[in-house]
Order: sequence, then structure tokens, then C-alpha cells
Amino acid sequence: MPVSDNPFDEDIYLRLNPDVRQAVTVGAFRSGREHFERYGRAEGRPWVRPESVVRDRVVMTGRPVRQVLTAPAAAVDTVQVSPSGALFVVGWVDDAQDPLESIDVFVTSWSVSFDAATLGRLRRIDAEGSLGRAARHAYGYWTFLYAARPLASGHCSVILRLKSGTEASFAVTASSLDDHEMRKIVLAHLAGAAYFGNPYFLGVAAIAPAIGAQLVAFNQLLTRRALQSPYVERFGAVGRRYRGSIIVCLYGKPEFMFLQMAMFARQAGIGDYEFIYVSNSPHIAEALLREARLCTRIYGVDISVVALHGNAGFGAANNAAVPFAASARLLVMNPDVFPYHADFIARHDAAVEGCPAPQTDLFGVPLYYDDGSLMHAGMHVEVDRLPHLGAGARAPTQVLRVEHYGKGAPAETARFLAPRAVPAVTGAFMSLARGWFERLGGFTQDYVFGHYEDADFCLKSSAAGRTAWLHDARLWHLEGKGSARLAQHEGGAIVNRWLFTKTWGQTVTRDVIATAPTRLRKGAGRRG
Amino acid sequence: MNILLISLYHPELVRGGAQTIAYELFQGLRARPGISVNLLTSIDQTSPALYKAGARITGFDGRPGEFLFLSRDYDYAWEKSGDEHLAAAFEDFLRLLQPDVVHFHHFMTFGIDYLTLTRRVLPAARIVFTAHEFLTICAANGHMVRRTDQSLCARASAVRCHQCLPVLPPEHFFIREMWMKAHLAVVDVITVPSRFMIAPFVAWGVPVKTLVHVTNGTDLPAPAAAVTREKRNCFGFFGQLVDVKGVHVLLAAVEILRAEGFTDFSVEINGDNAQFATPGRRAELEAFMAAEGALPFAARRVTFNGSYHPDQLPALMARIDWCVVPSVWWEIFCLVISEAWHFGRPVIAGDRGGPAERITDGVDGLLFGIGDARALAAIMRRVSTEPGLWERLAGGIARPAGRDEMVEGMAAVYRGGGVSRLAAA
Repeated sequence: MPVSDNPFDEDIYLRLNPDVRQAVTVGAFRSGREHFERYGRAEGRPWVRPESVVRDRVVMTGRPVRQVLTAPAAAVDTVQVSPSGALFVVGWVDDAQDPLESIDVFVTSWSVSFDAATLGRLRRIDAEGSLGRAARHAYGYWTFLYAARPLASGHCSVILRLKSGTEASFAVTASSLDDHEMRKIVLAHLAGAAYFGNPYFLGVAAIAPAIGAQLVAFNQLLTRRALQSPYVERFGAVGRRYRGSIIVCLYGKPEFMFLQMAMFARQAGIGDYEFIYVSNSPHIAEALLREARLCTRIYGVDISVVALHGNAGFGAANNAAVPFAASARLLVMNPDVFPYHADFIARHDAAVEGCPAPQTDLFGVPLYYDDGSLMHAGMHVEVDRLPHLGAGARAPTQVLRVEHYGKGAPAETARFLAPRAVPAVTGAFMSLARGWFERLGGFTQDYVFGHYEDADFCLKSSAAGRTAWLHDARLWHLEGKGSARLAQHEGGAIVNRWLFTKTWGQTVTRDVIATAPTRLRKGAGRRG
Repeated sequence: MNILLISLYHPELVRGGAQTIAYELFQGLRARPGISVNLLTSIDQTSPALYKAGARITGFDGRPGEFLFLSRDYDYAWEKSGDEHLAAAFEDFLRLLQPDVVHFHHFMTFGIDYLTLTRRVLPAARIVFTAHEFLTICAANGHMVRRTDQSLCARASAVRCHQCLPVLPPEHFFIREMWMKAHLAVVDVITVPSRFMIAPFVAWGVPVKTLVHVTNGTDLPAPAAAVTREKRNCFGFFGQLVDVKGVHVLLAAVEILRAEGFTDFSVEINGDNAQFATPGRRAELEAFMAAEGALPFAARRVTFNGSYHPDQLPALMARIDWCVVPSVWWEIFCLVISEAWHFGRPVIAGDRGGPAERITDGVDGLLFGIGDARALAAIMRRVSTEPGLWERLAGGIARPAGRDEMVEGMAAVYRGGGVSRLAAA
């Protein structure tokens, strides 16, 4: 029997509530019933004979009381702006129960509102400690926006609004930092983010709604600036035409110029090639020019140095070098690539001259690690998927992964070395018909710093009717040793992974992989 | 024949084996008819007063045929100079002299790439390179001593070199090997002062036909009059007080003998440059010196004489009976052995490298396990007490090769041949 069905019993009420009996005795209330009606019911005072209490059931004793709204525990760690209009916001909020709805930022001359769905969410161990929570909830948030117009720094109000309407507001200072520093800090932040789960997927997922596109747009601005009026100097012969132009993009390590010169200068036929070194590091430009002069004197090679004003990234830097090439054949090469055979040039030339154009417009070669094992014999693209197991029907997070054929295989593994068409070849070495390279518009310049431009270019070529090939003219590749690798580059790699997946995910799934992963339907596999 | 000798440092500015040999060769060649020879030795910031503003190559102290290369901006990691004007000056110097033979006694302070530059400027010249250690193979000062356990290294590889210098990745050493070999490839002949060096170079990939053994040789002052002593218990160390020379092994042997109660001997340490020893070894040496100095004079067994000039050798050698070479590296040739033999002193040395090749154990000297202080102590006790041993070993000493033998060997190399057998095995 529900409690509400019980008749009110004056004696029981006064027995269960001695303070009320006292109040009635002194005349504060006429009866226990009066107290119950005026206060007792709302206070939830006991009024039912104990032996009549219903056990193991919730009994509604009155209307739900609307809770008083209190500001959520939250913090705004940083608000930073750059001269070109980039905005970076980082903080955390306890929205485990009441989800974040939006973040509004107000500065004297501008304001912006971010939908929570566009924010990057990440794990904040410091917030978990501060809140004393052990729940698997990503309290951290961050966002990045490229406004493409100057944003004033200074006093700033930030309001975090939850779904319930609760707000937390903060008065902070929006600090200003250089555009390049902004890129560096934001990408390092992305690289260093912690998640409840695999960062490989969750890093991409964090930037997919909005941040990824904003970072790419901001990076494009810095790339355009880096490419403006490069300093170009020629060493050696001027006005010659060559059989090929070897283009090497340098970042941070000028010594690879003289190291490559020493090894390649010994090759028969190298005199028919010129070298074009394009520098993404302004601070090494002076050393590079000096070494180029030395190399021309010591090795007798013809070199052009194209010094950019900043780090334009691999694709843009190589594109920038092409106009200075005096040949119809481009050999795009990493600085940590060296000849494996004494007749690399002869083998390369034999491939170019002995094979039809579809096999030579774009081709790569087998590359080897310093330990003698195979490092590259063409590339293929794989799809990784992370299913969403939470509520609601959401497509799995999908990430494209580029793999090398034969990585780590014994040096002479014939099936990897045979000349053949491959889905893609690494940008560590690509031999290209200049006309084809230019017809495709060169490397896509949207990628941040480096990685994925090579696969992107090969897929562009494939889509335009020329599949990449592999020919057997071998090189050493001391992967990753030709440039300095910093946290910002790791962040750039995440952006590139997202961009490459966004650009080519559908094509790769449909045309390259061509099969969706097998899923078991309910009841599948049953017999009879 | 027009010859240009190139050497790291001038021996009168910075002492050292390679430059001493280069200078001996220069003097020997100059005395030969039909040979015109010039010597280009380098200086660095150890001789700042000799730099002249705007100059890259100058004369040296008014001496005909001797020139100084004013090295600067040298990169020891890649063994090259980054100064383009130096390279231009070197090229001009080659064009000016037009030597038929360019003989590098070292590339350090010039650059290993100057070999390639020389070949480019003088396509027909004979280029000779003398390996005074294994610096082309080994980035750890060319000593081929493993820094992991101080053992002698018989084979360089990317991973093994990385273990010695872990701050650099294996790929660095892979590139370094290619870089060194690219430049050595332009050399017509690599000469080595000891035959045992041929095997490591061949194992490293240098064609055996490129390698020729030519002994080092020096002219030394005449010995002092022989002194007959009742006991032959005076030991001498000659050399730099750096780790690989192993003076610490000798001092440890002294401590062992003292602990055993045997004190009827004396040791004279001749040499300096302790500042180039590792901090640990230097501290060890200085502590020993302080402790020895604190002993009553009669109880002291070790005397530290400091640096010496070759002209002092007759007197210094006359004071000792045995020359100890406790080196803990390969000790490529060991000029000290030649000096000791020249003065009739048998040598007690570690049983590897140059000493092992030159000394016949029990005939003209004695060998002990390299780096083994206890074995050295046992030998020191034996030779101090065994009657007739000194006389027998001193009598077994053959006259060491002098300057003339070396000049003759090198002249044959310059003419296109070699004079010594290739013991490449």
C-alpha cells in the first residue's frame, strides 16, 4: 500500500516527531496535523506507522524541487591570438553530468562563440586530480580558429555554457604571439594531447569537426609567406640544360648537402645532372650557400640553392624549386638518401630511356636501411577503423594508413624488387617527367610540414591515368635522419592524416581497398 | 719529382708522432737529388700569434719550402673545414706548386674532402695518404678502443660505433663510413707504418692493393756512453700522459709491487699533456703524484720529469734500463720503441698492435697482456732480479729503421711501387 494512502494519525506523527510535540505543547501549532500540512510534508518528516512503511520501493512524497543552478568547476588555461588572426583556447570543464554546450570569447573589439561539438576534447589528469574524480571523462577542451583578420589581445571574458544553462565565466588576458610560434604551440599541443583511448584515432577525431580545416587554412597562410620571393643563387655552370634535376628539400641540417655531394659526385654521368637544394630553414641558409660554394669547388657539381623565408613544408618547397630546374626530368630526393650502387645514375637513365612513358612519368626505386634490409619497394594505402560503441548511430572513425611494400625484408627479395606498377611511391625518391608533374599541379601544398604529399601525389596521378611505377635503381634511405623532428611535426602529421583521409578516404575505400570490413549480422552463421 | 707533404701541425709547434714523421720525411727528401719537396703543416688556435690577417697559407719562420695552413672553422664531426676561402687558397697553392705527388700525413685541420679537392685540381698527381691511426674507420679518436669496456675493437660497424658514442645514431656512422670512403677512393696509395694495420683496413673495405707498408724512421742523437750497472731495475715511460698511453697501468703495477713488499726499483715518467686525459684518469694520476711526493725521498719509487725534447733523450735514456710501453690501444707504430732501441734499451710492452709486431718476446724485449698491471708488475720484478736478462735482451736489439729507410720506402711509393710485403692476413 502506498504511503499516500495511509490516513494521517496525530498520535503517530507526534510520537515520531518529538520536536513537533513540544511545539504543539507550547502552543506554536494547534496540532500535529497543522504542522504536517504547513511544513512536515515538505520536509519529508515521518508520519506513517513504522510497521506500515512500504519496503524496497521509492515513494513519491511531494513534487520534485528544482535544484538551484551552480557554476560548474572549470578553468581557462590560455587564450592566445596571433597577428594574422589565429585564436587558440585551452581549458577544462567538469561537464561529465551536464555536457558543455558552447564557449563564448569576448574581447573589446571582437567575439566568437564555439559550439561544443567543434571543440577538441582530451584527457586532463590535472583536472581529474583537482575534481577528485576517477571517471573516464575527457574534461579538457581546446579549440583553434583562423579568423584571417587581426584579433586584438588584452582583457578577455570567456563564458562556458552547459546544456542545463549553467554558466561559468572567466576574466583572462588574451596574449599575443607570433604566427609561427602559434603554429608551433598549437601543433605541439595536438601532438601532446592525452586521450581515453588510442591517440592514433582520437587525435584525428578531435580535429575532424572543425579544428583540422582551420589549421590547414592557417598553415596555408604561412606557406604562402614562406614562398614569397625566395633567395636563389646558382653555383657552377649557368645556362646549361641537363638530363635531370635532383631536387632536395632541406630542413635544419645543412651537412646533408656536402654528404650527398661526396657520394653522388662519384657516380658516372652525374655531370649531366644538376642539384637544386631548397631550404625550409632560414637559419641554415648562410651555411648552405657557403657549403654550395665549397661543393662546387671540391666536387665540380652544378648547384642551385633556393632559400625560403620559412618552413613551407615538403610539397610547397619542392614545387618552388621546379621553376629553377633546367631539365625535363625531376628527381625529388630526401637529404638522407644516398646511392646504393656505384652506377645508380646509369640504372636510373636506363629505366627512363628504356621504358614507355606510362612507366616513367612517375616512378620510385627500392630504398634500403643502413642495416641492409629493404626499406621501401612501393607503397600501398590501408584503412583503419575505430567503431563507436556509445549511444546513437555514428560512423566509425576512419583513418588512412600508408605502408611500404617490403619494409624490413631481406635485401634481395625478388618479388619486391621487380619493376611493376604500385599504388604509390615514397617522396624520399621520386623520378618525374616534368610535364606530368606540372600538369598535375605539383605536390598539394595543404599538408602541414611533410608526410602524405607523396601518397597524395601518386593518387592524383593515378586518378589522372598514370599509376606510379617502381624501377630497380637502388638507394640508401636513412629515414628520418635528414631533418630535425620536433613535437610540432608530430602534430602536423596528425593534421595530415586527417586531411589525407578526408581527401582520399572514399576513393581508397572504393577503388584501392574495394572491400568493406566484414561484419556479422545478427543471426549470421546459424544453421538450419 | 715535385712533392708536397701535408701534415697536421708542425712538430716544433705541437708535438706528435704524425708531424714528427712528416718532418723527418721532409728533411730526408730534401737531401735527395732530383726531388723538390715542400711541406704544408697546419696550425690552429693553439698557435694564435701565427695567424696573419686575411691570410690562409703563409711561410713559416723564414724557412724555405715550409708553409703554414691557417686552419679555421673545422668540423671535427665530419673532419672538414667549412671555410670556402681556405679551400680556394689550398686550390691556388696546388696550382701554384703543381706537385707530382701530394702526400697527406693527416687530414685533420684540413679536411678529408681535401683529398677529393686535390684529385680534382691535379687529376694526374699521385696522391698518397699515411694512416697514423684509424681515424677514417673510428670516430672515437681513431683509437679503435671500445668505450663500452675499453677492449680493443677489431671491426667498426654502425651499431658498434653507436655503442661507443651513443649520443649519435647508427645511421650517423653509416654515413660517416661512406663519407670517408668516398674521399679515400681518390687516393692512389695508403701507407701504413705497421703491417697489422692492413687487416682492419681491408676488413673495412679498402682494396688491399691500395695499402703499402712503409716503416716510420727517425734520425736520433748519438747515445751517451754506456754505463754498466749492477742492477737493471730502472724503468722509463716516454709519452703523453693520456689514457690510451696507459701510464695508469704502469702506476698500478708499481702499487702492486709495493703491496708485495718489492721496492728495489725506480720508475721515471717522461711526458706531459695530462690535461688531455679523461678527468678520472687525470685525477688518478695527480693523486698518485701527490701521494708519491709526500713520501720520504728514500721511499719514493716514481719520479715525474715532465715534458722533454728529443735532444734530451740521450740523458733520459741513460738513466733507465727498461723502456715500458703500457699503451692500452693498438699503438700504431710506437716511435718510443725506435728511440729505446736506438739507445740500446729493451722494451716491455703490451702484446697487441705495433709493439707486438715489432718486439720479439724474449729476444729484444718482453710482452705482457695489454692493460694487465699484475702481469706488468710480474715482469718488472723478474727483470729487476734475473741476472743476465737485460744483457741478453739488449744484445738482441736490432738497429731500428732510421730516416733513410723511411725515405727510401716512400720514394718507392711515389715512383709507383711499394717496398714492403703486404702482410694482409
